[in-house]
Amino acid sequence: MKAWLKFLPTIVNKAIMSDAIKIYDIDFNILRAHINPRGGKMLVEISGPQENECIQYMEEQGIEVIPIMRVVQKDSEKCVDCGACVSLCPVKAICIQDDWGVEIDNQNCIGCGFCVNSCPTKAISLME
Amino acid sequence: MKTIQEINQKIKNGDAVVVTADEMTSIVAQNGAQKAAEEIDVVTTGTFGAMCSSGAFLNFGHSDPPIKMTKTFLNGVEAYSGLASVDAYLGATQPSQNPEIGLHYGGAHVIEDLIRGKEVELIADAYGTDCYPLKRVETSITLDKINQATMVNPRNCYQNYAVAINSTDETLYTYMGTLLPKFGNVTYSSAGTLSPLINDPYFNTIGMGTKIFLGGAEGYIISEGTQHATENERRNGVPVSASGTLMLQGDMKKMNPEYIRGATMPKYGPTLYVGAGIPIPILNEEVATRTAISDEEIICKIIDYGVPRRSRPVIRETNYKELKTGKIEIDGIEVPTSPLSSYKRSKMVAVELKEWIEKGDFLLTNPVRPLSSKGNIVKPLEISKPLVMVKDIESKPVIMAYSGEKINDVAKKLVDNNINHLPVVDNDGKLKGIVTSWDIADGVAKGKSKLDELMTRKVIIAREDESVDIIARRIDKNNISGLPIVDKENIVKGMITAEDISRLIGENLKDENGGESI
Ligand code: SF4
Ligand code: SF4
Repeated sequence: MKAWLKFLPTIVNKAIMSDAIKIYDIDFNILRAHINPRGGKMLVEISGPQENECIQYMEEQGIEVIPIMRVVQKDSEKCVDCGACVSLCPVKAICIQDDWGVEIDNQNCIGCGFCVNSCPTKAISLME
Repeated sequence: MKTIQEINQKIKNGDAVVVTADEMTSIVAQNGAQKAAEEIDVVTTGTFGAMCSSGAFLNFGHSDPPIKMTKTFLNGVEAYSGLASVDAYLGATQPSQNPEIGLHYGGAHVIEDLIRGKEVELIADAYGTDCYPLKRVETSITLDKINQATMVNPRNCYQNYAVAINSTDETLYTYMGTLLPKFGNVTYSSAGTLSPLINDPYFNTIGMGTKIFLGGAEGYIISEGTQHATENERRNGVPVSASGTLMLQGDMKKMNPEYIRGATMPKYGPTLYVGAGIPIPILNEEVATRTAISDEEIICKIIDYGVPRRSRPVIRETNYKELKTGKIEIDGIEVPTSPLSSYKRSKMVAVELKEWIEKGDFLLTNPVRPLSSKGNIVKPLEISKPLVMVKDIESKPVIMAYSGEKINDVAKKLVDNNINHLPVVDNDGKLKGIVTSWDIADGVAKGKSKLDELMTRKVIIAREDESVDIIARRIDKNNISGLPIVDKENIVKGMITAEDISRLIGENLKDENGGESI
C-alpha cells in the first residue's frame, strides 16, 4: 500500500522506520520525502505479509499514517489524450487504452512527477 | 467515376455512404479499390494536434470615442494590431507579457478562453489621431460581444512529420515535447492513417476553397499553407517527411472547445491544439486507393533533435504502425514512444464530420483550384552576417592537466594561473575529464592522490564547428562558466568562457549600432 507518513518534530530523530522494517521484514520504498527538524512527511510504499502490523507499530510510535489511493490525479476535462506523458513515465504507469484514451495506473505510479511537468494542458497533478 | 455534384445529391437524399479513413483501409483491403470506389461516396479524415502556426483575426468593433489601436493585449498576451484601427491578429505561440506567467499562458490559451465564452481583458494603446482620438482602452470582451473573430491558421495539417529523439546527455524541451536523454523516448505527431493530407497525397480532391471541419465548426482551406513542400521523397505515394501544409480559416464564434485547446509544450512555449478534418469525395478508383493507406505504409524518419541545426541526422526509418505499438527498437534497445497528437480526438473529428455529412448538414465543395502538387521547395533563411563559429575564436593558450599528474602539481597550476577549472587530457591531448579547485580540495580531504580518481569525467564541451550562439545557450542552460573546445578527434583546442562570449556579443552589438548601445 501507499501512504503518507507524518512525523512530529519530537520523533524525527528516532530510528522508527528502520526498526519497523527490521521487525516486520517489509519492503519499504520512499517515493517522496519532505523532512526537516520541524517534522515532516514522507510518501512511502509498504508491502509484505506483515504490512498491517508494521503500520500499527508505526502509529504506536507516533507516526501518523494516511493511506492513499492516488498518487497523481488526471483531470479528464483538461486532458486531450495526446499521449505526451506516456513515454516519460519511468515505471510505465501511463498507458494508451484500446480506445486511444490515456490512463494513469495509480498502483504503479511512484509519484516522480515527470508527467506532471510534461503535460501540455497541465492535466496531471500530484496529490498532497 | 462520380462527380461532387452527384455525391452532394446523394448527401441531400440521405443516402450517401460515408466512412472514416481508417475504416476505408479495411474496406479496400477486403473488397478491393474498384468495388470500394463504387460503394463509398465520402471518406472523412481527422487530426487533432499541436499546430503552432495558428491564430485569429479579431475585430473588436469601434469604441466611442474611437481608437486606432497600436499595442493590444488580451489577458496580457500581445496581439499584433498594425492593421487598421480595431483589428488584431492573435498568434497562438505568443507568450504572456507577464514574466511570472511567461510560457504558461499565451495566445493559444486566450483563443481557448474566448471559445469557452470566458471574459478576456483587453488593453490597447494608441497615439491618437483626429479621427481616432482615444489613446487607451481598458475593457473586457467575450467572443459574443466582439464584432468578429476569424481563426486563420497559416500552417496546419502537415502532411507527415519528423519523429523526434534525443541522443545527447541532457533532457531537451522542444516543440516535439520533452525528449529524454540518450534515446530515452521517441515522440511523433502525425495521426497516420487518419491524417488529411496523407489520404490525398497528390491533392486530387483537396484544394483552395474546400469546405472542412475546423475546431468543431465549418471552415475552409484558403490555400497551401506556409512551408508547403511537394518535392520530398515519397513512399507508397506519401512523402516520408514534413511536406504539404494548409492555410485554414473558420468562424471562431461557432467553434467548440473540445476541438480547440490552448497548451504549453514545457519550456518551449504555448501552442494550439487544433482539430481539423477534411472530407474526401471518392470520385474514382485512384482516390479510393489513396484513402486506403494503412499506418504500416506511411513511412517516416526518426530525427535526432539533439543536433540543433536546420538539417538534423536521421537515426532510422519507421512507420506509424510500429510507432503506435508504444515502443520501438533503436540500436537493440526498446524505446517508449509518445504520440503528441491525440489519435482519440483525431478519430472523434473524423466521426463527427462523417455524422454531419450523413445527416445532410454538410455538403462537399468543388475546389476553386487544386493545391500545388509540384515545384514547391522550402527556401532556407540565410543569415547574411556569418555566424561566429567556435573555431573562429582566438582562445588563449590552454592550460591543461595530464591524467597521470600529481594532485599537488595540478593544484599549483590552478593557483598560479588564477583559474578554477582545468581540462584533463591524456598524452595525446584527448579530453578525459575536467577538474575544479573544489574537486581537488575534496579529493585531498578524502585522501585521494590521483587525478583520475577525482576529476569529473562527464564534461560539457564545445565543438569547433558549433556556432558561438549555441555555446552561449549551453553555458546558460548548464549554469557553468566555461567549457573546453575539442576538435573531431576529441583533442582539446582551447577553453571558451562566458566572458569570451559576452565580449563577442558586445562587439557585434557595437558594429550594428555604430558604437551606441540601444
Ligand atoms: S508521477 Fe511519475 S510514476 Fe507516476 S504516472 Fe507520472 S511519470 Fe509515472
Ligand atoms: S500529456 Fe496531459 S493531455 Fe496529454 S495524455 Fe498525458 S495527461 Fe493527457
